[in-house]
Amino acid sequence: MKIIKDKVAKLSFVALLVAMTAAMFYAPTASAHGEKSQAAFMRMRTIHWFDLNWSKEEVPVNETMTISGKFLVFAGWPETVDKPEVSFLNVGIPGPVFIRAGSWIGGQLVPRSVSLELGEVYEFKVLLKARRPGDWHVHSMMNVQGGGPIIGPGKWVTITGSMSEFVNPVTTLTGQTINLENYALDNVYFWHAVWFAIAFAWLLFWIKRPLFVPRHIAVASGKADSLISAGDKKIGMVFAVGTLVIVAASMGATNEKYPVTTPLQAGLLRGMKTYQMPEANVSVKVDDATYRVPGRAMQMTLTITNNGDSAVRLGEFNTAGVRFLDPAVHEDDTAYPDDLLAEEGLTVSDNSPLAPGETRTVEVTASDAAWEVYRLADLIYDPDSRFAGLLFFWDEKGNRQLVTVDAPLIPTFI
Amino acid sequence: MSASQSAVRSRAEAVQVSRTFDWMILFTLFTAVLGGYHIHYMLTGGDWDFWTDWKDRRLWVTVAPIVSITFPAAVQACLWWRYRLPIGATISVVALMVGEWINRYMNFWGWTYFPVNICFPSNLLPGAIVLDVILMLGNSMTLTAVLGGLAYGLLFYPGNWPVIAPLHVPVEYNGMMMTLADLQGYHYVRTGTPEYIRMVEKGTLRTFGKDVAPVSAFFSGFVSIIIYFLWHFFGRWFAKTDFIADDAS
Repeated sequence: MKIIKDKVAKLSFVALLVAMTAAMFYAPTASAHGEKSQAAFMRMRTIHWFDLNWSKEEVPVNETMTISGKFLVFAGWPETVDKPEVSFLNVGIPGPVFIRAGSWIGGQLVPRSVSLELGEVYEFKVLLKARRPGDWHVHSMMNVQGGGPIIGPGKWVTITGSMSEFVNPVTTLTGQTINLENYALDNVYFWHAVWFAIAFAWLLFWIKRPLFVPRHIAVASGKADSLISAGDKKIGMVFAVGTLVIVAASMGATNEKYPVTTPLQAGLLRGMKTYQMPEANVSVKVDDATYRVPGRAMQMTLTITNNGDSAVRLGEFNTAGVRFLDPAVHEDDTAYPDDLLAEEGLTVSDNSPLAPGETRTVEVTASDAAWEVYRLADLIYDPDSRFAGLLFFWDEKGNRQLVTVDAPLIPTFI
Repeated sequence: MSASQSAVRSRAEAVQVSRTFDWMILFTLFTAVLGGYHIHYMLTGGDWDFWTDWKDRRLWVTVAPIVSITFPAAVQACLWWRYRLPIGATISVVALMVGEWINRYMNFWGWTYFPVNICFPSNLLPGAIVLDVILMLGNSMTLTAVLGGLAYGLLFYPGNWPVIAPLHVPVEYNGMMMTLADLQGYHYVRTGTPEYIRMVEKGTLRTFGKDVAPVSAFFSGFVSIIIYFLWHFFGRWFAKTDFIADDAS
């Protein structure tokens, strides 16, 4: 007997050591959200985020910040992804390091799912309240039913302070102000403890007596009925009746304590207010587009026609949240994340002002390490090898026009 | 020691070995059921059990008992018909809930900082105790399935109401009404669990107005009866000892 016990003890000790050793291996914090792993065509041809602003880069616990901006629901939405008829405005953060204190599309609160229209631009804002200290990558994000999470650009934000100081006060319609962070927690623990105690009592009543070997012998020899006594049945009745009484009484008491309760709320919000961008007077035709793999550069041949009354210049190409700028036309002053900003990444063969009524064919090159870093180059391995993005033109008065492009992309490997 | 000799030398030692064997089997049973049942319940009940803003009066009430009566039925089949032990359902549910609490506290709160008051597990214990008692008193699989299965479904919602009712108090938030549970789901960001994924208040059961929970509970109880039969047979099949000579039961 002692040998068996010793062996069990030794094996348990070895198992414990193995478990502890495994846990001590290097386990880095997962700070980002796999945005680089998402198929490039998903990021380039679904939701285009632009004019993004993170209101703060450092936030103390209990303070708030916002992510705001606009997104275009791309008209050339890929067939392989479900349309955004049921979508949810989310944020990509590693768990509830912030709480989402509010989120709005077109000024309407969107705690529920929304229906979005292809080709439309929407203005959004997400109000975040800092909860857990650390450096966090904070993304805009749109979940699309049947399409999955479509993550937008992310920026590092630091939360300072202590999580123990975090409070989340909410006033109910019954006039009670509670801290949602730990509200009703004692009640949860209490009822679970009560039921665990009853269940353990029932188990203890049985397992205190010899169990498997003698009972199996008795059952096998046809004496099963002798194993349950009249006393056992009485105790069983007490447990069953006691359970029913406690359930009924606790439910009645709860209804008295909380006379006003409502069902969970759910539903789809339709008819979201769209954002009207200034009408574009520039038309763009993509003659061809190639991606040069060794050079990490995309080259487009564009035929641009200015139908407006003011000369325009191409200043920005935005795709999958990566912004390629021509600094001679436009410079970023929004503290956009460095890794997503190619400040001199846009080269146009002739970017002199395009006069009203003029048509010009130009070679546009968008080059930056971001193609590789953000794995946009993987587009050539996607099932639908098309690229898409936003072109921003500026006129002489500084007015901006947005034009979308969507065309096949041919890779070149030499 | 030859094969024909006993491993023990006295009755006292036999009793001691038997008790040690009891504890070893109990520990193994408890942890095996904890693991297997936990995986099963997380795969089938999943989010309904994880989050307060999934615990509605229609689908949570319907789904949770149906998918959770499985292991209790199977373990009952083994412990009752082999050992006349009426603890199969209770020990299964206790194992499940111990596992769930470890998971919710260590993972949901300890690793990802979701407050425990949004991710506590459902209470399945009242139904499990009644299921065990009915089997003990009736000594009948059919009676246990019909009465016990129904009771298991019916007791689920009232057994959980004292825990979730405080979270169903309404709140007005930025011009919209929602429950505190809805607000928890909105506040505490889950990037992989968007709002539309919630299976709450869906279905066509609208003729009963606001009194839909009892109807859902009855339906759940009826289906639990069928699932009980099915899993009870699984349990009996697993408890067979055909591989042992002279015992082909």
